[in-house]
Amino acid sequence: MKAYDETDLALSFQALGADYDVRVPILLSDGTRSLGRLEEGKMALAGGKLGAKPTSVFFPQMDLVFQQKGTNVRMQAPPSKPLMVVGLTAQDADCLAFLDRFFSTNFKDDLYRQKRMNSAVVVLSGKCGRDGEMLRLSSGNCDLELVFDGDRYLALAHSQTGKAMAEKMKGGLETDEISLGRLQRESKALPDDELKLLQRASSLLLDNKVPEDFWVDISNRCIACTACNLACPTCNCFDVFDWKCGDSCVNRYRLWDSCQLDGFMREASGHNPMGTEALRTRRRIHHKLAADVIRWGQMGCFLCGRCDEVCPTGIGIKAVSREMVEKYG
Amino acid sequence: MKRVLTTCTYCGVGCGFYLVSNDEGQLVGVEASREHPVAQGQLCVKGWNAFQFVQHPDRLKQPLIRRNGQLSPAFWDESMKTIAGRLKEIQRKHGNDSIAFFASAKTSNEENYLMMKLARAVFKTNNVDHCARLCHASTVVGLAQMFGSGAMTNSISCVEQADCILVIGSNTTEQHPLIGSRIVKAVRKGAKLIVADNRKIRLARLAGLHIRHRNGTDVALLNSMMNVIIREGLENKEFIADRTEKYEEFRKVVEKYPPEKGASICGVTAEEIVQAARIYAQAKNAMIVYSMGITQHTHGVDNVRSCGNLAMLTGNYGRPGVGVNPLRGQNNVQGACDMGALPNVFSGYQAVTDAAIRQKFEKAWGVEGLPDTPGLAVTTALDAAAEGKLKALYIMGENPMMSDPDQNHVRKALENLEFLAVQDIFETPTTQLAHVVLPATSWAEKDGTFTSTERRVQRIRTAIEPVGESRPDWRILCDVAMLAGYGGMKYDSPKEILDEVASVTPSYGGITFERIGQFGLQWPCPNKEHAGTPILHVGKFTRGKGVFAAVDYRPSVELPDDEYPYVLSTGRIYFHYHTGTMTRRSKLLDREERFPFVEVNENDARRLKIRDRQWVCVSTRRGEVKAQARVADVVPPGVLFMPFHFEEGAANVLTINALDPEAKIPEFKVCAAAIRSTP
Ligand code: SF4
Ligand code: SF4
Ligand code: SF4
Repeated sequence: MKAYDETDLALSFQALGADYDVRVPILLSDGTRSLGRLEEGKMALAGGKLGAKPTSVFFPQMDLVFQQKGTNVRMQAPPSKPLMVVGLTAQDADCLAFLDRFFSTNFKDDLYRQKRMNSAVVVLSGKCGRDGEMLRLSSGNCDLELVFDGDRYLALAHSQTGKAMAEKMKGGLETDEISLGRLQRESKALPDDELKLLQRASSLLLDNKVPEDFWVDISNRCIACTACNLACPTCNCFDVFDWKCGDSCVNRYRLWDSCQLDGFMREASGHNPMGTEALRTRRRIHHKLAADVIRWGQMGCFLCGRCDEVCPTGIGIKAVSREMVEKYG
Repeated sequence: MKRVLTTCTYCGVGCGFYLVSNDEGQLVGVEASREHPVAQGQLCVKGWNAFQFVQHPDRLKQPLIRRNGQLSPAFWDESMKTIAGRLKEIQRKHGNDSIAFFASAKTSNEENYLMMKLARAVFKTNNVDHCARLCHASTVVGLAQMFGSGAMTNSISCVEQADCILVIGSNTTEQHPLIGSRIVKAVRKGAKLIVADNRKIRLARLAGLHIRHRNGTDVALLNSMMNVIIREGLENKEFIADRTEKYEEFRKVVEKYPPEKGASICGVTAEEIVQAARIYAQAKNAMIVYSMGITQHTHGVDNVRSCGNLAMLTGNYGRPGVGVNPLRGQNNVQGACDMGALPNVFSGYQAVTDAAIRQKFEKAWGVEGLPDTPGLAVTTALDAAAEGKLKALYIMGENPMMSDPDQNHVRKALENLEFLAVQDIFETPTTQLAHVVLPATSWAEKDGTFTSTERRVQRIRTAIEPVGESRPDWRILCDVAMLAGYGGMKYDSPKEILDEVASVTPSYGGITFERIGQFGLQWPCPNKEHAGTPILHVGKFTRGKGVFAAVDYRPSVELPDDEYPYVLSTGRIYFHYHTGTMTRRSKLLDREERFPFVEVNENDARRLKIRDRQWVCVSTRRGEVKAQARVADVVPPGVLFMPFHFEEGAANVLTINALDPEAKIPEFKVCAAAIRSTP
């Protein structure tokens, strides 16, 4: 197994750029870390999860679906090079797997799949969280994992793609697996109270133990900013709209939508089965913690932590679950 | 992919975020700035969707000139020469004050500064104003007289430090969402919230006390609260003695408003007034947050004064968590005022009537004979146009046909002009009446600065190429000045313009592009070493002592009667912004609210046999519009509320052109109306 420092990694990513359109965490002008190309900013691997959801690489906020000119319809062309995305956390990788399944079951989302197909996903884990905080190691659902031991990144290939990538990487020192073992143990020892909390909240919902009043109280604090949805890597709702692009030319775009909006489920008649804020707030949590459990056998939340960070009034999924469990057991 | 840090173009909270564009130069999203001091990685729904309208196919892409009654495509060269030529001609024929200039709270500081320079230095008129006239003119007049500054006294971060927040006439979670969210959080942490607003706004659900006083009775309400405070000895005697003047005159007026009297004027109970007074006065740190519900009245300045009085009476100034905080509604309405796009002051509120100030500007601008009498305001300029006294109007990024009171009056005024030039990003009912229309770039296509409601001067940055042939407003203004024969308006970039602003404006003296950096600087910032001022009036008021204002309650101009039995109030809603040109071209925002609507109380609706979502006619003495009824208990019986965003059901067809005598702000919040179901 090989261990790399940041210089090695930058060179390696550059080399992989021959095969991939490489996106890595970079430092934006105000210190925010975000996914970008190597030439767009200083690489910033350490620092924990990225603010914006990394799944937006495959499913951007707004995306061209097709262009229609006269009777001729042209779908968006697939990317010329497959994407390589560095910087997901283990939780993000779980979310991505969830999204992959969603966009491939029943309705097959070509736009997503053509970006995701042949792409490579690199998870960052180990001691590279904010201020060196330990990040959980992945369950192997990515191509390559870079585990930071406080000094170097140990490269763990989890797929054929990952192995091929590892072979093309530059520099690196051969190391034994002792430090990996230690990090794996540390990762296992990370507290799991948040997961337990979520599971508890999930059973409360599945057992129908949460009364309407609770949702009225929570929704009174929601300002319908939609950020909880926009930030969530497993949220996948979108709306479409058309813009004219000349005489008899129309572009169809899709755009992230949010179940926290009244118009999300409003029918053409004006009737709205989710016509109150309380119903919509309930749905946001219920969908992830109960409906998904029934449909997929797992919760739709992997505790990436984003909705709690972006919610201006402090009612992300963890906060709501905590309040729910405090009140109803 | 490109990410450019910029400042939100919608409300005055001033959130920073990144505009994201793809390899083809198309904007495809917004990413939060986790480090921005106001946004902190969060935004409201308008912010998250702020990229949407920018490259909409409706954007104006080339200049238009009216030929044979029709607006038709033209070259820049010809259009610019027409504007400069016609303005010069009208100036020669009818005098300097026959022309007026409307700057805009949507454009940058640099552009507002140039618009006022164009009016004053080139055309020698003080007829320059902008839409602050319609929102916070009362604040600028009222607070400046009392304290020496008309700005928000505290910072946004102070909200979470308050023990009591009085929200009066502000639907904060909808109009200033990221200030509203801080109020929500403050309440969760134990702050006491009093909402004084007769609509059941979201904050009312969280308020310990919700006072639903009659529209336009704020002075009576606040005077009565102060009456209670004095009667119960809850006033801050030390503060009054040390830091204020004219207390006795004020006290005598307030004496006339025992809570019982306030209660009968306001339509609330005396107990509610007493309770509000106690909660507010007993809090360690009490903050007042207000907005259009206070300012948009024929007694708007008096309303503002009453808010100022209440905070002075209780000593709530000059420290975190207190103050009088008028929330600015537009991204740069604070800045447009700061830049002197007002008929009576140069930048930094320096009076045009002051000879020394005029001399300073004459020297700086290399001109002579700057005009010394205050000019026309937005509202009075339109009146003058209707009367045929004003001959030409040059509008930058405003849409008075939709935003000003009494649309038929505005149309008559604009049609009466010999020459109307408008620069904007979309066609609007106002551009449709123009002789020349110029395509301007949006905020995403230019550099500059906006000043937020907390006096934070922040950068906007070019994220994409200009759409079509559009040009930034500042370039257009420079070219007009040059064609009109003035050589003192040549700049290579907005940075140079801001440097000039700093050189003539004491409160902006230390503000430069470099120093603003990523997160801005709060004025006053008098020199290059100064770190900015988060809280005003620390230790002493800007003008020295704070002056109490003795104000009596005056009823609104047009009250309900048999023919028009309802009070009509107008305002904004969360998903739309002002005249709708941007939000109605943003998919999600427009989907949320697609139709003009009118809120009707459920009891009234039952009596009138009006169902929810049914189309109704709302009429006043000015006109009639169709809107969808929204039946709920948001408004109390006898009150109708309409947003003014919708061209097809324009609330401002209905509103009354009655002005506050000092601030010249229209009474958007009260007029008499009737409602009936459509046949
Ligand atoms: S923590 Fe929030 S944002 Fe993250 S996966 Fe769960 S619901 Fe989505
Ligand atoms: S982030 Fe919070 S305030 Fe915004 S829509 Fe979601 S729950 Fe509501
Ligand atoms: S709160 Fe105001 S400044 Fe912030 S995102 Fe919303 S509209 Fe923009």
